[in-house]
Amino acid sequence: MSTPPIAEQPTRGERFDPVALAVITSRIQGIVRRMSNTLFRTARSSVLNTARDFSCCVVTRDHELLAAAESLPIHVMSGPDLVSASLARLHPKLRAGDAYLHNSPYHGNSHAGDHCILVPIVGADGEHHFTAVVKAHMADIGNSQPTTLWASARDVYHEGAVIFPGVKVQQDYEDIPDIIEMCRTRIRVPEVWYADYIGMVGAARIGERELHGLGEELGWETLHEYTAAWFDYSEEMMAGAIRRMPAGRSVAHNKHDPLPAAGAEDGVPVKVIVTVDPGGARVAVDLRENPDCLPCGINLTEATSRTAAMIGVFNSLPIAVPQNAGSFRRLDIEIRENCVAGIPVHPASCSTATTGIADRVANATQRAIAELADGFGMAETGTLTASVADISGKDPRHGDAPFVNLMILGLTCGAGHSRGDGWLVSGEVGDGGLMMRDSTEVDELLYPIIVWADRIVADSGGPGRFRGAPACYVEYGPAGAEIEAMWSTDGYVHAALGARGGYPGAPARQFLRRADGNVEPLPGWGEQTLAPGETVLATSAAGAGYGPPWERELQRVVRDVADGWVSPEQAEQVYGVVVRDGELDAKASERRRAELAGTSVPVPELLDVEQRSREIADRLAPYVLAAEPAR
Amino acid sequence: MSASNARITCDIGGTFTDVVVSDERGRMTIAKALTQPANLFDGLRAALERAAAELAEPLGGLLGRTSLFIFSTTQATNAILEGTTARTAFLCTEGFPDILVRREGGSLRPYDYSRPFPEPYVPRRLTFEIAERIDADGNVARALDEAGAVAQLARARELGAEAVSVCLLWATANPAHELALGALIERELPGLPYSLSHQINPIVREYRRASGTAIDASLKPLMQRHLPEIAAGLIDEGFTGELLAASSAGGVVPMGELIDSPLWSVRSGPSLAPVAARTVATVETGSGDVIVCDTGGTSFDVSLVREGDLVFTSETWLGEPFAGHLTGLSSVDVRSIGAGGGSIAWVDPGGLLRVGPESARADPGPACYGLGGTRPTVTDAALVLGYIDPDRFLGGKMALDVGAAETALAGLAEALGIGSREAAHAVLAIANERMIAAIHELTVNEGVDPRDSTLVAGGGAAGLTIAAIARELGCREVLIPRAAGVLSAFGGQHSDIVREMTAPHVTNSKGFDFAGVRETLAGLRERMHAFEAELPQGLGGEVRRRYFVEARYAYQVWDLSIPLEGDGVEDEAALQRLIESFHDAHERIFAVREPGQKIELSQWKGRVSVETVKPPLAAERGELADGAGGTHGRVAFFPELGEVEIAVHLGGELAAGRSIAGPALLIEPETTIVVYPGWSAHVSELGNYRLELEDA
Repeated sequence: MSTPPIAEQPTRGERFDPVALAVITSRIQGIVRRMSNTLFRTARSSVLNTARDFSCCVVTRDHELLAAAESLPIHVMSGPDLVSASLARLHPKLRAGDAYLHNSPYHGNSHAGDHCILVPIVGADGEHHFTAVVKAHMADIGNSQPTTLWASARDVYHEGAVIFPGVKVQQDYEDIPDIIEMCRTRIRVPEVWYADYIGMVGAARIGERELHGLGEELGWETLHEYTAAWFDYSEEMMAGAIRRMPAGRSVAHNKHDPLPAAGAEDGVPVKVIVTVDPGGARVAVDLRENPDCLPCGINLTEATSRTAAMIGVFNSLPIAVPQNAGSFRRLDIEIRENCVAGIPVHPASCSTATTGIADRVANATQRAIAELADGFGMAETGTLTASVADISGKDPRHGDAPFVNLMILGLTCGAGHSRGDGWLVSGEVGDGGLMMRDSTEVDELLYPIIVWADRIVADSGGPGRFRGAPACYVEYGPAGAEIEAMWSTDGYVHAALGARGGYPGAPARQFLRRADGNVEPLPGWGEQTLAPGETVLATSAAGAGYGPPWERELQRVVRDVADGWVSPEQAEQVYGVVVRDGELDAKASERRRAELAGTSVPVPELLDVEQRSREIADRLAPYVLAAEPAR
Repeated sequence: MSASNARITCDIGGTFTDVVVSDERGRMTIAKALTQPANLFDGLRAALERAAAELAEPLGGLLGRTSLFIFSTTQATNAILEGTTARTAFLCTEGFPDILVRREGGSLRPYDYSRPFPEPYVPRRLTFEIAERIDADGNVARALDEAGAVAQLARARELGAEAVSVCLLWATANPAHELALGALIERELPGLPYSLSHQINPIVREYRRASGTAIDASLKPLMQRHLPEIAAGLIDEGFTGELLAASSAGGVVPMGELIDSPLWSVRSGPSLAPVAARTVATVETGSGDVIVCDTGGTSFDVSLVREGDLVFTSETWLGEPFAGHLTGLSSVDVRSIGAGGGSIAWVDPGGLLRVGPESARADPGPACYGLGGTRPTVTDAALVLGYIDPDRFLGGKMALDVGAAETALAGLAEALGIGSREAAHAVLAIANERMIAAIHELTVNEGVDPRDSTLVAGGGAAGLTIAAIARELGCREVLIPRAAGVLSAFGGQHSDIVREMTAPHVTNSKGFDFAGVRETLAGLRERMHAFEAELPQGLGGEVRRRYFVEARYAYQVWDLSIPLEGDGVEDEAALQRLIESFHDAHERIFAVREPGQKIELSQWKGRVSVETVKPPLAAERGELADGAGGTHGRVAFFPELGEVEIAVHLGGELAAGRSIAGPALLIEPETTIVVYPGWSAHVSELGNYRLELEDA
């Protein structure tokens, strides 16, 4: 407009100019998106440059989350705030040109596998105004084993993570060489780590440059006034959303799969108490009644405990609300010290703090809300499996150069919810559907592997009025060299649970196919050396359903059958929809539905995913085994 | 005069068919008619007849003296967005039937589950798995099961497939199995159009290659019907010249090329807008970077000219990123956002003013159309501010209801607790902000600074707010071409024949394969020569061949396209210069460089452009009389001035060289230009408008 540029816009008394509010928000979101784009396009590890397992955000000088466009929820809702506060405690004077490396689970980070780069944004006035935070899941962090997600690590010493509680890694825009050398001597394939580090610094510096420009153009005080107004607005949106929710207290339980650790042999029970108070426009989530920290790698951090509960709530909001410190004011997340879903006490290991128990907490929270009233909340999302694995070894195509990477294949597990079917491409509840999949061709180009299948498994999605996303079957193995694969999964024993009469999703299944054709079961967590000719067969844990399946819209079932996602048998038995030769038999369906509404079907019968996976494996056997000897 | 040689370009859009006729002296005639979707030629003929009438000659006479006819259409794009393409089967490697269903994952909106997971381009029920496997090195890991494939094709026929797309893993490394399937399709399903991925777009990454191939095959039946119909229609009316068609590579190709590979026609019209902008900017402001904005009723397209070159991308989505469909082609980077005169303004539950994404479209349209719309739109806001003359909208063809716009805005103003004029101003400011964000995304991506660039605006809504957008971007100069209302058709007038070829060959900076690269480039050169040889005689002028390589640091996966100097990388010194230009480009775009790091080079491209004879840019405006006396007043609102009386000029009455100080309105038949306070407008010798921000 011909208005004076936004810099000169007056604020109307106490109220921030509404046009400037919208304009500055758009500018800051744009800056965060450009930070993300830089890291995405420059990173070396496929976990970053393809799967997008990273986040970029801006935190205020008071350590509050301001903007995190298109970032993985489990990374950002809480975490950047805590690391920013911890940084200020350890480094009282932040200067322009500084950059800090942070991955400490005991100082506010999500887990050690996520490296954060924090760049303080310092004005010409010498004051610290904001902090740009870039957090990325690294391919390796120098653990004792080549994995960044290690559920069976006994403690942080066994895990072996190098912990950086906010260590200055750049001064005057130059690397501090001793810190870089420290990383290079410990982290596997240091060239790749360093290149990813450079990408992260580049992203943070782009954020710094642009925010600095905005602050100097508008005046830093205007930006701080904007921040306060934006938080107030976001809080009002959140309050409006909560006022539309049903009142009540709801308790949900679920269970993490058993682990080889004292106290976790029979699985780890999770309990979440949600209280929705539409009158006061507040939601409380209490996680304090969960077990103490365990001697394994699944303990949550303070950041992921809070965030997991927040994800469950945000997934259940009836309208879209901005995610920042303003809207978070309406949430009361109650956690305690020394708790598996709380604040960890050193040296408890938090290696898998962004998945595992975090998924269980978020899932229980949204399911608890679903049980308050129909039309709200969500069923449970499935979980990561061995199609998402750390692979490492030496690549004979590049003179036996070592490689290590988190491979992200498969990735279908969204939960049925009050408004629709499970979001198909999702790795876990904490990714909000933002995670991307590897390209088979790119993985085969970068690493000595061959992928034989990556496909959806029929009858695996939890049946419901709104169906959970079906599982996928992935089969892969080495090409021409031995590789090491490690995975820490959940959902093998305890499937994703349905909500309001919806059925659970199929549990995960893993097998090893030997070169001689024998297929043997693999455990839900573990490590495996694969020789050429051997393959891992991984079926993911599917999403669960919402509402009774016999209430599902008829045409949705007919289409699922046509696409091969639901068999005619499951359609008839569970959904009460009779499809013959692709045509709906309306009368027979009506009869079957009336029958089902009276007596529900037992679960194991309808989710025999083990059988389904084996069928696919058998069908693929001649295909895989007849392959030319690998390179 | 009418004996001279003419050049005609047309752009068949969803609503209007635009025609531009130019002669050897550069005189330009512009005509429009409604598009007739059932028979595109009917709409085209109507527009051509209008142009002929304006030139006072029969249509046959005009077409008879037309040596070159350049055709572009949005039919392909529209058919995809509306889902009216052919029923297409998808053949893939066994084990991977969900490539199109899952895409590459990703979403722009976490927690937004109000919309369903997007539908695949080809549903699973029309997807057929073929037992075969090529590995990353191009070896046959599993032989093709021909008998199985024949059975799958029979099934596709039973299901009524009208076209077949084939994308097998690693067909780019070894196309043997795709070629064998092509032969089987010809044998088993004779006459059915099909597309093979390694021929359509030989890139690594199975989803993008599959998506482009599926789109290509699905367009074949439609384009193989429409394009020959148009050609036949023109010939029937007396046309004997050469017929070329626009492609998304920012140029034109013989129409037969698009019939063979219709994927290139997707978003081809918008790709000509930067060609038009470059032409005008070169003569009006000299070289430099150009930001191109094309504003229609429902969408805002932005593109870029950097150092005289069009900017390309491999990320062209039809629809929203991640939720739409990717063409996968390297084509002119035109970002499109749903924003325009019809975007609806509303106040959200937190009290914040929002504009769009919902649009009032043409029916009921903005409140001021008086067709039943009651919600305030961007057009209503501009009317309330006095930026649109209600009696001269669309050349006076549609009278606007100011009262209805006032009423619609009053509700919004009340909800915001501010005056109607202020609310209207806020609506435009927020609508602008979305366009500014789109421009920032594109310029920052390319390392272009808007403050050093010229803004070129086209489209019906261009003049309303472009100066305001320029000011927010820090741009001091805006060009609005005489042909702003038909930017793409005008771009066609100034297009060369452009064709791009790609060939994969992987090497790196530390062990550079000089011989292999020489051979690869020689292969590209041969293909370019073959293309040139097939062009109609007498069409082409100077031939320019340029080479590029897609390069990245070791282990990166996203490439930067780096131009080669000359036609190869002949020696160590040339290699060093190439490496240096990669480091420079990386630093320009991503703020960091890694000296000494290994660079991988994977895909080699040759772009051949054959210059066509272009009409001169005529100094037609100088002939007009100065209509200084023709101005009249009008009241408009600007926040820094309040309500003021401003001058209104009819564009056609202004002589070349005239300057108008803002605030003022310039009314053209296709658009209205708001000259904001602090700005001035100049009419150039060529009849284009230049807006400049005066020094404060």
